[in-house]
Amino acid sequence: MRTYTVQRVPSVSGRVRTGATLLSCLASVLAAGLLLALLGLHPAALGLQVLHQSLANRYGLEDLALLAAPLAMCGLSVSLMLRVGLWNIGADGQFFVGAAGAAWIGLYGPSWSTLPMLALMGAASMTAGAAWIAVPALARLILGTSEIITTLLLNFVARLGIDWLVTGPWRDRASSVTAQSPRLPVAIPKLPRDWHLGGMHWGLAVVLALACVLALAFRFTRWGYELRICGANRNAASYAGMAVNRRLLEAMLLAGAVAGLGGMLELAGTVHRLQSGLSNGYGYVGIIVAVLAASSPLGVVVTGVLMALVLNAGTVLQTQGVPSSAAVALVGLILLSAAVGERLANYRLQRIPPAPRPGQAA
Amino acid sequence: MARTELLIRPLVQLSGITKSFYGVRANQSVDFSLAGGEIHALLGENGAGKSTLMNVLTGLYQPDSGCIAIEGHARRIDSPAAAIEAGIGMVHQHFKLVSAFTVAENIHLGWNETPFRAPAALLEARTAALSRRFGLAVRPSARVGEISAGEQQRVEILRVLARGARILILDEPTAVLTPPEVAILFAALRAFRAQGNAVILISHKLGEVLEIADRVTVMRAGRSIETCAAQGASRASLARLIMGDTSLPPMQESGRAVADDAAVRIELRGVTVRDHRGIALLDNVDLQVRAGEVLGVAGVAGNGQRALSEILTGNLRPDSGTVLLDGQAVAHPTPRRFARHGIGHIPEDRLRTALAADLSLAENAVLREYDRSPVARGPLFVPGRARALAVRIIDDAQLDRRDPSLPARNLSGGNQQRLVAQREARIADRVLVAAYPTRGLDIGAVASLHAAMHRLCARGIGVVLISEEIEELLDHADRIAVLFAGRIAGILPASDAESERLGLLMSGQALVPDAPDRDPGRAA
Amino acid sequence: MTIVTPLVGPGPNAGPTRRGLLAAASATTALALLPRRASAAAPLGPVAEAEAVIAFGHIGPISDGGWTATHHHGMLAAKRAFPKAKFLEVESIPVSADATRTFRQFVENGANLVFVTSEYGDLLSSVADDAADVGFLECNGHRTSDNQGWYYIQHWRVSYIIGVAAARMSKSGKLGFVGSFPVPAVYSCANAFLLGARSIRPDATAQVILINSWFDPQAASQAANALIQNGIDMIYTNLDDASCLQVAAKAGIKCATWNTDMRASGPEAYVTSLLLDWDRFYVAQIAARLSGSWSGGGRTILPVGGGVDRDAWGASVPAETAALADAVRRRILGGWNPIQGEIKDADGKVRVAKGAAMDEMACYGWNWPVEGVSGLRSA
Repeated sequence: MRTYTVQRVPSVSGRVRTGATLLSCLASVLAAGLLLALLGLHPAALGLQVLHQSLANRYGLEDLALLAAPLAMCGLSVSLMLRVGLWNIGADGQFFVGAAGAAWIGLYGPSWSTLPMLALMGAASMTAGAAWIAVPALARLILGTSEIITTLLLNFVARLGIDWLVTGPWRDRASSVTAQSPRLPVAIPKLPRDWHLGGMHWGLAVVLALACVLALAFRFTRWGYELRICGANRNAASYAGMAVNRRLLEAMLLAGAVAGLGGMLELAGTVHRLQSGLSNGYGYVGIIVAVLAASSPLGVVVTGVLMALVLNAGTVLQTQGVPSSAAVALVGLILLSAAVGERLANYRLQRIPPAPRPGQAA
Repeated sequence: MARTELLIRPLVQLSGITKSFYGVRANQSVDFSLAGGEIHALLGENGAGKSTLMNVLTGLYQPDSGCIAIEGHARRIDSPAAAIEAGIGMVHQHFKLVSAFTVAENIHLGWNETPFRAPAALLEARTAALSRRFGLAVRPSARVGEISAGEQQRVEILRVLARGARILILDEPTAVLTPPEVAILFAALRAFRAQGNAVILISHKLGEVLEIADRVTVMRAGRSIETCAAQGASRASLARLIMGDTSLPPMQESGRAVADDAAVRIELRGVTVRDHRGIALLDNVDLQVRAGEVLGVAGVAGNGQRALSEILTGNLRPDSGTVLLDGQAVAHPTPRRFARHGIGHIPEDRLRTALAADLSLAENAVLREYDRSPVARGPLFVPGRARALAVRIIDDAQLDRRDPSLPARNLSGGNQQRLVAQREARIADRVLVAAYPTRGLDIGAVASLHAAMHRLCARGIGVVLISEEIEELLDHADRIAVLFAGRIAGILPASDAESERLGLLMSGQALVPDAPDRDPGRAA
Repeated sequence: MTIVTPLVGPGPNAGPTRRGLLAAASATTALALLPRRASAAAPLGPVAEAEAVIAFGHIGPISDGGWTATHHHGMLAAKRAFPKAKFLEVESIPVSADATRTFRQFVENGANLVFVTSEYGDLLSSVADDAADVGFLECNGHRTSDNQGWYYIQHWRVSYIIGVAAARMSKSGKLGFVGSFPVPAVYSCANAFLLGARSIRPDATAQVILINSWFDPQAASQAANALIQNGIDMIYTNLDDASCLQVAAKAGIKCATWNTDMRASGPEAYVTSLLLDWDRFYVAQIAARLSGSWSGGGRTILPVGGGVDRDAWGASVPAETAALADAVRRRILGGWNPIQGEIKDADGKVRVAKGAAMDEMACYGWNWPVEGVSGLRSA
């Protein structure tokens, strides 16, 4: 008789890790298909429908790009802090506050032409996002307060602050309807139609450019190397003479600024009004995006698109008659498998040789 | 004791153990037997397969082939829990204790005999009883984070013994202990042996092995080379078995008198450092490190060595006093500034301080030179050049794993130390500060490290060697400074120093007539 | 019997309808209060029932037992009326860019008529403007176009009726209101409630607590408890769940709810509920779309008795109180507008002069609290 045991392997190559992630995603898609079949639906037809509608409908890849952009921005924000070994659970709040900063400029700022206006809004959103994380950052560096708790709690503060703004001082009086601000006078221009991205705006290019800049900075600057060391072992970093607290502060403020800029892109490119539904939990999904990408900026773009595809699939499934609870559960199943698969790559099955004299085994 | 009878039916018999990792044979048909009532030393260089064998015995690994018999019965040990059930307990070199918990809580953690309702008083009473029963002095109510390494080790051993272990495996138990603590440990081990139990002792310190072990098994390259009685063996004979045919590098001369006019590289003038509670870690220390000398720093651990090495490398700022680099007072010492000035630093805790275990060898190797040419170009970091430099450092350090993209965690402790030593030696143009650099190294590695140290000296670089081993200092240092309670108790030329005199200085008796016992845990 | 009557019917009233059901439309309580704003849009072309795709997008889950459940009920009625048509239904659509993606999916799936059962504003109109051949109807919406209209219910008049009963059910005259956001639906609901109460008891007051959600049982319970501690003994709520009623039952006070009959959650405390009924409206709109008579630009407020009404009175409501409130209801059914001046706002400023009445669009956009309402601010 053969028996097996599970063993942990201390380190695995990136290829094995990626393979395990893909394999487990595939397994979960199959499991999802089985569940759909149990619900009395045709999984294969639904799958084709999902792919067709996500990738080849009359809006082209617009829907995918529209969702991937904010997810990638939040993912970049989270991955920046993961680089130095800190968790940014507050990307959602920074996203909102950044959008609010941009909306403030857009609604009450100067009336310049589109480009300088957008630049100013971008600057405002980054400042606001960075300011929002400044308190957790300083609390972390000076008092040692866990940034996980503080950034998370500030999400609720941000969200309620937006609620207050859009139902109070910034409410749209013209339509005087639900909780939203007036429409912003400026919008990010759309990408050229023949790029087959539908009505996607130039914010996508900003996301890609930012991911590239961060990837280059992480790999090809001393600053990036220092962040890496600070993240892996802060004692070693300060032993090597790095200004550890300064690097941590930079990473945190930058993370806030990136999430804030994400809010501005969503506001000025997609939604055009400040409202409390601006982020549908993008900051939280961004955590998954960053972790799945192993906090690599270019990886974040890829996992951001994949995540958008999965979340869009949930929407498509609902229009096809899958109950929303089932759709949410399926999306959750796929995300869970992706995360677990990466961990499982660290384990392998090992055969235990049979005991020589089983009769005597205690 | 009927030793022969026990040998016929050994307590533990490992037969033909083979274990491979990705095609590398870590153990190859290893036979090993352990009799009741013996202390059995397991010797070998880093990577010889000792840890793998012990991991097989404690259920962490499953052998590819071979079998384990406990008291004559074949037994499958497929988990650490099964090992504990079989009466096998291991104390690792790195303690696995929860530092925020008390000693009593640590002992009762995850133990099925822990009472369901466990008030602190009850746990502490039980712990005190265990402590008396096994002759291992611990303070049950003390927090583990606040007790000495020696006491932590006693807690680890108690933890294992409390669970009914008859076979105790100790991995480098004396690496973190002061000489008096070693004596306490050995007394406890002898008492344990006297009850018919057995100890497997993994150690690089041959003197200790000869002192306490009954039998010795030497492993090399995954095989068991020889098992012999400790009586009749010598350090030289054991070293030959361990090293195989490779010859040791020739020993350097020590105790050379360094010329009085040799340039002073680092000077401390009246340096005092206090911790956050205001207790002096260094108290008005005056010290000079000269070009081309090995300055030994002796002393029992915890008498200011860490603060001294950090002051000498810019990691700490003195609360009062001055640090001078080549005669220039440094107003704001920083590690970067000292590194730039050519001061290398092998810290005492390499994994905690000197390496980022999750990052690659390449990233770790360039830790000291990432900010200078050729790796850096202005604010840029050139990965290709970093890799080239790393490959060179890895080659020079003679690591057994040479893939620069491998995580540093995958190196054995000795190889990690070689990497750090090589990296630091490269930047040490003026001074190398080495704290316990040979801790955990095997004989070959120790010898090559000492040789490297002397090569630096020959180039006119000052070396500060902080060690607890008087032998090492006497063999390699030119001058020996003794630290006691944060003060320099004396500085002797190595040629004049004798063990007894150093011992007196280290225990503070040359300073204070009646030194109070600073650690109640050592009272036992 | 009262029947759904669009205030201004772009579709169903525009031409002969296929179904007998609709022949009765406009029968009883036609309230032609809203003139068409734009010149008549061209109707969208007819669609065969077997090829028709009708989509419903909801803000909440269809199992909420409240607002979305009533719309789901309407969809089921439409499904029965048009068995050959294909129906798409998506629930719990957040008010975010996700909504746009969902509405696009409707278009992509060939929808001919899309009902969106809460206001999504630009998130919907950006899709509508790109799909001229698809009709869009937005509940509680404000925008109209050649292929988009909106619809709502005259809930303030029912709230007025409930207010009349509440004045009698409360001993102290201190009324409470638990709402969601400071939006016109909440202002008009709470204001009309107090105006109804003050018509009986001029010293009545209403304290409002907003919980920033339409569905958050825990927050709703906390709000209700806070009101009770302030000495309030009659609570009215337009939230989707019954937790206020449960709290009221436990505290021994009275409560009126919204959307559906919730008396099972607290029979002793239950006064009544504001019931929603979209069935006939949905059927009529779909019929118009199929026949080719539906066009955009419709602005519909379903009247009392034609989409919104009070529930049967609770067991603890005395017959005399019920009769008093029902007398008011009958006047409203007869065309009387209860929201009459003089109405002062919470700051004491006269907003509606004596003798004047607030028209339906003014009530629809109500954004100031009337005198006696606390907890809401003039926007």
